[in-house]
This record gives sequence, C-alpha cells and structure tokens, in this order.
Amino acid sequence: MTARILVVDDDEGIRKELEQHLGLHGFDVTTASDGVDGLVQFAIAHPDLVLSDLAMPRADGFWLIQRIREKNATPILVLSVRGGDVDKVRALDLGADDFVVKPFSTPELLARVRAQLRRAGAPQRMQLEFPDLIIDVERHKVTQGEREVRLTPTEFAILELLARRAGRPVSFDEIVANVWNGAPGTSNDAVRVHVGALRRKLEPDSSNPQYIVTEPWIGYRFIAEPV
Amino acid sequence: MRRAGRFVFAQLVVVMVGWAALRGGSNAATVGYIFLVTILAVALWTDLATSLVSSLVATLFYNYNFLPPLHTFTISDPSNWIALTTFFSASVVVTRLVVRARSLAESAEARRREVEALYALSVDLFTATNRVGALGEATTRVLTNAGASGGGLVLFGISPYDQKVISWSGSKEEEIEDLIAGSGRHDRPVEFPAAHGRDVYLPLNIGGKVIGVLAARGTKATLSALESAATLVALAVERERFLAETAHMQALEEGDALKTSLLRAVSHDLATPLTAVALQIERLRSLVDGDALGVVHDIAEHTGRLRRRIENLLAMARLEARSVMPHPEPTPAADLFRFAREHLPLVAQHRRLEIQVAADCPEIFVDPSLALEILANLIENAHQAAPAGTPIELSAFRHPLEHDRVRLEIADHGPGLPVELPSDTSRRGLGLEIARSLASASGGQVTLANRPGGGAIARIDLPAALLPMVAEEVPA
Repeated sequence: MTARILVVDDDEGIRKELEQHLGLHGFDVTTASDGVDGLVQFAIAHPDLVLSDLAMPRADGFWLIQRIREKNATPILVLSVRGGDVDKVRALDLGADDFVVKPFSTPELLARVRAQLRRAGAPQRMQLEFPDLIIDVERHKVTQGEREVRLTPTEFAILELLARRAGRPVSFDEIVANVWNGAPGTSNDAVRVHVGALRRKLEPDSSNPQYIVTEPWIGYRFIAEPV
Repeated sequence: MRRAGRFVFAQLVVVMVGWAALRGGSNAATVGYIFLVTILAVALWTDLATSLVSSLVATLFYNYNFLPPLHTFTISDPSNWIALTTFFSASVVVTRLVVRARSLAESAEARRREVEALYALSVDLFTATNRVGALGEATTRVLTNAGASGGGLVLFGISPYDQKVISWSGSKEEEIEDLIAGSGRHDRPVEFPAAHGRDVYLPLNIGGKVIGVLAARGTKATLSALESAATLVALAVERERFLAETAHMQALEEGDALKTSLLRAVSHDLATPLTAVALQIERLRSLVDGDALGVVHDIAEHTGRLRRRIENLLAMARLEARSVMPHPEPTPAADLFRFAREHLPLVAQHRRLEIQVAADCPEIFVDPSLALEILANLIENAHQAAPAGTPIELSAFRHPLEHDRVRLEIADHGPGLPVELPSDTSRRGLGLEIARSLASASGGQVTLANRPGGGAIARIDLPAALLPMVAEEVPA
C-alpha cells in the first residue's frame, strides 16, 4: 500500500518541490498551505505521516501538532530552520516525532520519512539487526561481527531503546523514563556518561560514530538503518 | 504702631468700664465681676503683655474707687487686701489661659495649613509628574508654600560637588554652591538668618543616599514642614528617575523584541526559498549530463556558500540581539566533526576530511550550533586555501596545558600564513571573524599558526564538560 503524506507549508515552491520529490519516490502526497488548512486535509485524507512547517500564517505548525495529537498518533515530521532550536524542542515536546532542518537534502528527508513510517507498522521484535550489529533482546546479547560486546544492564537498556527507535530522536526524558523508570534525580549528565561508555564499547572508530550520535538539546539518535 | 494703639485702647476700655460702673453705683463685688469679664475680653483681643497691664490697671482702679479709704491707693481693712489680691490673681490667670489657648489654636491652624499644602504638593507630585519639567514646577510650588523669596532644587551627580540645577529662582551667589555641597555631604539641614525669615538648605535623602538639596531662601516656615516637603521632593526625584529608567528598559525590550521577530522572519524567509532551490538543483542534476552537469555543480556550490553566509550572519545577529543566549551542553567532539561534515557536503565531496579524536578527549561544554558555525567557517577557510586533493585534518584532544579545556584543530596543506604576517591578522575574512566572535561568546578562542612541514592550523580552545562520576556496573 502506498503511504500517504500530508505536506503543510505556506511556501508554494516548497510544496510543489516536496510533492514532486515524494511522488517520485512512490508516496501519495496531499498538500495544505497553513495549520487550519492542514487540519482539514488531515481529516479528509487520513495521511500516514504529516510533514509540516512551523512558521505559517493563520495557524502555525505548533497549533497543528497540538490539534492532531489530541486524537491521533500519526507520525509528524517538522521542517525547522537552522538556529530555531527552541522551536524544534518545543515542537517535539508538543508531540512531533522528528524534524528536518531547512535547507535539507532529499536523501536526508527520505531517510527521516522512512524511519517514521517504519515505526508506525513495526512489530516488537526480539532481535534487532543492523549492519554488523545484532542485538538479541531476549538473551541480552550484543554481537558485532564475530565479537560479543559486553554491556552493563544500563548500557544494554539504553542501546535497546535507541535501536528500537532507529532513525528517530530519543530525548533524555524518554531515556530516563524507560531505562531508570523515571527515577527522580537521574540527570541528563548521568545519561551522557552511560551513553559515552556505550559508544566507546560499540563504535569501531570513536572519531567517526556509526551507531549513536547526539541530537543537540534533545538526546540521541541511532543512525544505523535496520537490515 | 498698631500694637501700641491696641495697648492704649485696651487700658482706656478698662478705665471707661470702671468709670461707668462707678457712675451706675454698683457695689464692690459687682464691679469685680465686671472687671474680670473686661479683662477676659482684652485677653481675647490683645496679647499677653497688654492684658497683664490691663489687669494691673483694673486692680488699681478697683482699689482707688471702691476699697476704703476711697480715692487713695491704700487699704485699711485687711480683708480687702485679700479681695484685691484674689481679683488680681484671677485676672492674671484668666489672661494667661486665654492667651495660651489662642496661641495653641493659632499654631494648630498653621499646622493644618502646612499639612494641607504638603498634601496638595504630594498629590501634585504623584499624579501629574510623568512629564519633563514637572520637578521644577513642584519645587516652585514647595517654595511658594513655604513663603520663600527664592531658592530651588539642585541634584547631585557623582558627588555633592557635581551639581545640576533643576530649577532656581532669585539670586544665586557663588558660596551657595558650597552651602549646598556642605548640606549634602553631611546630610543635615543648614539654616542661616536672612533679611526676611531665614535661608534653609535641606538634603534630599533616599535610601541613605543624598541625591540633592532643596534650598528655600527667606522662608518663615518651620524646619519640620520644610523637611517634610524635602522628603516629598526627594521621592518625586526618585520616581522621575525610576520612570525614566522604566521607559528606557521598555524601549530596549521593544527593540529586542523587534529584532527577534525580524530575525525569525528573515531566517524563515531566506531558508524557505533556499530549500526550494536546493531541491530543484538536485532534480536538475538527474535531468542533465555533460557540460551542463558542471554548471549545475557550480550553482550548487554557490548556493551552498550563500546558505552558509546567511547562516553565519543570522548566528551573529542572534547573539548580538541576545534573542538567543549561548546554550551550552556537553557535546562529544566526534559528533561536532560529524555535524560539520554533514553540513559541508561540497567540501566533503572534494577532499578527505581526516578525523582524529583522542581516546581521553572529554566532551566539550559548548552550544552545539555555535560550535558547528565555528568549525564550518574554519573548515571552509582551509578548503579555500589548500590545493585540490589534499586532505583537511580535524583532531580533538585535551588541551596540553589547561586540563579543563578541549582543543580542536583544523590543519590544511595550503601555503600557510604569510611570513610578514605570521600572527593571527593574516587571512582575515568574514569566516575567521565570525569564528572568533562565536568562539569568544562560547568562552573559548581561535588562534592560527603555521604547521611544521607546511600548511596552517586553526586551533579552537573550548571549555571541557565536567561529567559526574557514575558507579561502575559489572557487564552482564
């Protein structure tokens, strides 16, 4: 089945370009020019994913995210501008799933779209496979090539969480909530220390991370594509 | 003259009343009462001295005409001595009581007038002083109320000798400046007798600090009334300063808000068409071949550069407008290098970026988006300086001398820095300038040096993040 994407942007050029690009890659695209229009199109088209700008006349992207999240879990990807980090964080807090920074490249956008759509239909697998990396959730075992990577329980829990959401940002709050069961007093710095240790054990070349990268002000992103 | 007239008139009245009583054939007791009432009236209308003399006149008249032996100032019957003494004492007591009551009433009335004036002044000061010149008007009003013939308001700058005259009326001799400074320095009112009334210099004290002096010349008002007025004027001065400051802050805030919304609009309005252009270039690339591909490539490169410049300027403008304060957080150096590589796809296409992060390199405590701008600018500079095909080496390690800092190095194989300008002033350009400003906003610095064996090295020193120790876990 073709995935349907709703593109919401007040700039006609961007709407047209995105419609053509995404269309070329096999998506069914509907467009809207602002938040209000976007909400109407959302109700009509029932898209599988929403791609929305933030700054728009009438009703902006934040408003649209809130309205959609009142009833739906449809993945929302936000188009933000560089330097608009505050906006980005706010959009994620309101329920957006990911963001792409303008001006973005097509491969980057497509990778983010696919990661979101994967999430929507993914069953809870017990074995997560990435190039050169297998995470066996049941047996708490991580294998890299032929080598078994020995992780502490905390490191393993973090890795599992990030890998299950491969391609998508995972916030510090989510990590604390899932790995430490939201234990009060768990600081972002504690998460950083564990992730640092995890990266040292996991990354074949520490200068050039292949699996986990930081997502400024938000948390981390597992960047390897699942096999 | 008026007082003398009243004095004579009062004594005449006493004598006339006595004479009338004599002719009317009243007896001694009745005349005593009539005299008491007369003295009372005199006390009510004149002053203490006049009524005391009237008491004496009445006593003598009483003795002469009513106490035997008549028509002499002698008294034969001792009981009459008692009557006369009693009469005199009574009239003196009445006189004193009446005069005292009247003076109390008068001073109460004066107080009432003062309070009324102060009240009017305070209402004036605190309801209608939101405009320039109001302090001068208020001062004039205070001086008028105090019946002063001159004077004014002087405020201090950095010291009591740095005086700014807000308003002044009448003459202002040279020594007045010293008097004002003296009163201000000692924080005490200074009084001098003057032609009419006196000259008073009152310090204006707010929160223990003397901010100026109110001068009232030739005034008869009491010191306490003047001090109250000075307190009000001091409050008004303070209020005017506060209002001016608030207005200033408000203007600044509005300016900042305008800059912020302008920045937001500009960054959105520039990023959006650039995104459309980037998408179109990518599509164009798949449509053309041969020579046209080279042209498309050039367009892409120029567009990329334009995008970088816009981002640079916006980053600078944001910092300057303080719409965005640097928001540092622990960031691994490897991630920064990765961001930079992703951010400069055209550089990465043309040459190798060799990345080396030392195993013991701490995370960097920096705003990631600022660090990215710094890195991207310095990498672009290196890219432009170095011959095609040579790699750019990026490395990160703990600062060799300062262990709480991290050093990032960008080394190229270009010509290096010119010999005559081996210091940092060479290769200037917008990119380096921006990198410098952003580094200093991040608590770091950028330096340039020649590398041994040719080429230049740009060094970025930034604070290291101090992460907590976390209890070691045993691998499962």
